Amino acid sequence: MQTVQTTGLASTSRKNRTRSGRLAALVPYAFVAAPLAYLGVFMFWPLGRQIWMSLTDTRLMNPTHGDFVGLENYRDLLTDPQFYTSLNVTILYTLWTVVLGVGLGTVAALAMDRPFKGRTIIRAILLFGWAVPNVAATLVWLWIFNGPSGVANEITEWLGLGRIQWLTSIQWALPSILAVTVWQVAPFVMLVMLAALQSVPEEVREACRIDGADGLNVFRNVTLPYIMPTMQLVSLLVAVWSIRRFEIIYLLTGGGPIGSTSTLVVQIRLTAFEDYELGLASAYGAVGLLLALLVALINYLFERRRAKVMSK
Amino acid sequence: MPKIDFNGISKTFGSNTVIRRFNASVEDGEFLVLLGPSGCGKSTLLRMIAGLADISGGDLLFDSQRANDWSPKERGVAFVFQSYALYPHMTVRSNIAFPLVMAAFRKWHHIPLVNMVQRWRVMQQPEVKAAVERIAEQLELTALLDRRPGSLSGGQRQRVALARSLVRDPSLYLLDEPLSNLDAKLRTQMRSEITTLHQKVKKTFVYVTHDQVEAMTMATRIVVMNSGIIQQIGTPDEIYDTPANTFVARFVGAPPMNLIPVQIVGDELSAEGIGWTHCGGTPERANSAIFGIRPEKMTISATGDGRMPGTVAVIERLGAETILGCRLGDGEYGGISTENLVFVRMPGHPPLGLGAACTLDYDDADAVWFDKPTGQRVTPLPATATPEAASAL
Repeated sequence: MQTVQTTGLASTSRKNRTRSGRLAALVPYAFVAAPLAYLGVFMFWPLGRQIWMSLTDTRLMNPTHGDFVGLENYRDLLTDPQFYTSLNVTILYTLWTVVLGVGLGTVAALAMDRPFKGRTIIRAILLFGWAVPNVAATLVWLWIFNGPSGVANEITEWLGLGRIQWLTSIQWALPSILAVTVWQVAPFVMLVMLAALQSVPEEVREACRIDGADGLNVFRNVTLPYIMPTMQLVSLLVAVWSIRRFEIIYLLTGGGPIGSTSTLVVQIRLTAFEDYELGLASAYGAVGLLLALLVALINYLFERRRAKVMSK
Repeated sequence: MPKIDFNGISKTFGSNTVIRRFNASVEDGEFLVLLGPSGCGKSTLLRMIAGLADISGGDLLFDSQRANDWSPKERGVAFVFQSYALYPHMTVRSNIAFPLVMAAFRKWHHIPLVNMVQRWRVMQQPEVKAAVERIAEQLELTALLDRRPGSLSGGQRQRVALARSLVRDPSLYLLDEPLSNLDAKLRTQMRSEITTLHQKVKKTFVYVTHDQVEAMTMATRIVVMNSGIIQQIGTPDEIYDTPANTFVARFVGAPPMNLIPVQIVGDELSAEGIGWTHCGGTPERANSAIFGIRPEKMTISATGDGRMPGTVAVIERLGAETILGCRLGDGEYGGISTENLVFVRMPGHPPLGLGAACTLDYDDADAVWFDKPTGQRVTPLPATATPEAASAL
């Protein structure tokens, strides 16, 4: 009798344990439920809709009634010279933003990493570009690049270079946009890289100096390997942001002149709201997404290789 | 190999002086240990020798040449850091070969790609390969040469750090608490490995530690420091047997020397409510002083033969020996504080339990006297004490 009772108690206790175990297993899901719901509603659902729309002939005049046309939009895309121009501009714009933004941001971080008089003030000034809202900053730059009365032309005239059509010539429009973008991106990079630099152990730098390295060798052999993962991550972020950047380009040039600054995102806007082709615009969007995924994949492969090498 | 002289070396950070007029010299082939509590300035001193910290005052001489402004490279020293400071992205082989790669480096190697090619070429040179493999073999690292520091244990990392310092064959080795991150067993092992290494390479070692066991077991000479000031310089035996002041007496030895403030009337001493006769002489012109005696110089018995009655308050059984902490007088032994305990180190397992009444005794010749206000030793130093020791007092 006693044995039966004991078994019964043990069984009840096991059941309680199992139930509490099951509940405990659900806790992580409860925590991620809210962000998942948010992402589902505001990201995955529109993304799915966009991909579906890219397979239809939906037009802006009739946005809810598009017929399925298969890959026709993608075929149109691939036969449209403007698509290749946009793709080319997007890739160029992204690459230069990453190279210049991350490069200058890192150099600024290296300078800020050393103690000198006025460092705090200079750092605050450098961060200004990042802190100002995009639209406000772009409007200021629009005035700076203004042909007849802009500050930029005042300077070039003073330097004897004459007046330059910063935003209206094919030659200068993209570099001008790049200048504004880098002005905005570099401070953010500086801030992130500064944090990375401050995590480089001073003892390893000192060991390098004891081993006979000069300043440049200390940077190459200690600082750079330590900050490389952060630099890689920040490059990924800057690249993805560049692929989807809209307001700076649209406000400065509207994608012109003659489509020379029309990135994929600007082209989506033009196709959707000026040509009313929502299906085709969605196909542009899908290509942009693919490009961003490609950048993320490259980053992932680099990261995996690094982790593999470091674990040996 | 250089002889190093410190002529009134000082180091200040703003208004804070961490080292005051440090005078000492390091002889060729010596294993000098800088011993002191955290924050006493010993690591700062080591960094000043290496050229990693500026010297605020005084002269640092390498073979009588002023080296205050020499770069770390010009000083030709090797430095082993507490955190090992290995290059995590390089293999053990590259870590060890790095000083050799840097020695072969020329300014124009900074050109991108040339740098990589040049490094590869240096690594492929037979003499570099041979040097790395010889050192790796010496420190039992051969099997780990192609691994990265991240996959090594603490002891292995420490050996890689030592190998990196050895490969250049420098004349002076500076070691900054290199064993403090290791567990007790590994620390003991590495301690003897470093001692053996010193005997093998016959170079000058300057070693910083706050662990008096490391200092006593490895050093040929010890500099005891406190608050940036030398307390005593001497061989481990001199430091242990003839401490210059109460700080050294307390800092060196585990348990530390018993220091009992006593009242003196002729040959009669009194402290903690008890009195006893001391026939070994007492300090002149003093009716109060600090009576010091090492725990192993004391005897304890339950029979009442000793001069100092007490109660056993702490028992630490270490296997081969036992350490007993006794409270003088016949009062209670209770309380967890070890303040005012008199420690006795006994071989084996003495048959005494907690709270047992006991009597302590000692040989009068083993007593050491310190001045109560200054803490300085008043018992004369033996003639064997080094000149630096005498000047440091």
